[in-house]
Amino acid sequence: MASTIKQINLKPGQRAERKLLVTVAEWEEPISGTTGVETVREVMGVRTEDSAIEYNPDIQESTDILGNNYTDVNKTQPSQGFDPFLILGGSRLGAFLNDIRRRNALSELQAFTMYIITVFVGSEGQYEAEKHVDCSITYDSIGGDANVNFPITVHYSNKITTGTVDKIGADLQFTPDVTI
Amino acid sequence: MVDKNQAIIDFLLDCPQIAYNPLFFNAIKAKDNDKQIVTQSDDVTLDEKYIDGSVMKRFTFTIIDFRSVVYQPLPKVAGYTSENVQEMFDVQGMLDWVNEQAENENYPDFGTNCLIDSMKTTSNTPNLNGVDTSVTPALAKYSISIQIEYLDTNKAVWNS
Repeated sequence: MASTIKQINLKPGQRAERKLLVTVAEWEEPISGTTGVETVREVMGVRTEDSAIEYNPDIQESTDILGNNYTDVNKTQPSQGFDPFLILGGSRLGAFLNDIRRRNALSELQAFTMYIITVFVGSEGQYEAEKHVDCSITYDSIGGDANVNFPITVHYSNKITTGTVDKIGADLQFTPDVTI
Repeated sequence: MVDKNQAIIDFLLDCPQIAYNPLFFNAIKAKDNDKQIVTQSDDVTLDEKYIDGSVMKRFTFTIIDFRSVVYQPLPKVAGYTSENVQEMFDVQGMLDWVNEQAENENYPDFGTNCLIDSMKTTSNTPNLNGVDTSVTPALAKYSISIQIEYLDTNKAVWNS
């Protein structure tokens, strides 16, 4: 079977800048004054200095009588924290989550679609990405010192569709991979 | 790309103390009431880099205000003061003007990709750097340092 692995699009030895791993949140918001909804997206990470996807693997290790080790990976429960996640003018995600917080409408935290885009794989207009549906975003606290911080955690569903996106931004177009 | 020095100059021209007096940039042969903008280099190691590729940077500069001085004791009569005290009060007005603009979020225009987050004077009162007695009249040199923090999104992932 031919390899479908696309190579990293950097020069040999060149490190991938952190900004080349992008998380985009997508959700539906009611349109004011109508019964309709609109799909909204936001690139995450504005004013966040450090954030990683933690896979939290559940592993089971055993050793046979010959001394060989075996590791079973039962599952992963990926999550990604954004701290600080500042309340910023123009952030629709901040406004959406804050609205959920004030209504304590916890069930509405579970209907996010997340895109993880690896800009360091693929080419311009065809960056590799994965789409997770039915993800949750939880808020951990709100407050802070000089500015209002509203740290959040994304809980990925692992309901994954792989594909590509044409650009980085709220108006990105996701194209699922075609399996033959 | 916006020239931030020019943006600062344009911004300061609205300050009454500066608008009606000569303003110089870095080089000056100072006279009474002249103002001077002095640029400073900011340490890039203090830049805060964010995961989207944007960077919080600092832009620091100093306004020097030259004021003539008198060598007379303070009048010991309530309500009367000396020129030196009045000059200091006027320089303080310039510092207060900068902070007032900051409170109203009226900032210099650094362009669409450089969003100013904060502007502040680094002290609550002007600093007296010394008195130049080699000129006539002798000139007191007051300084106000101003630090602007701005978010540079030129290299943010969606702008790359």
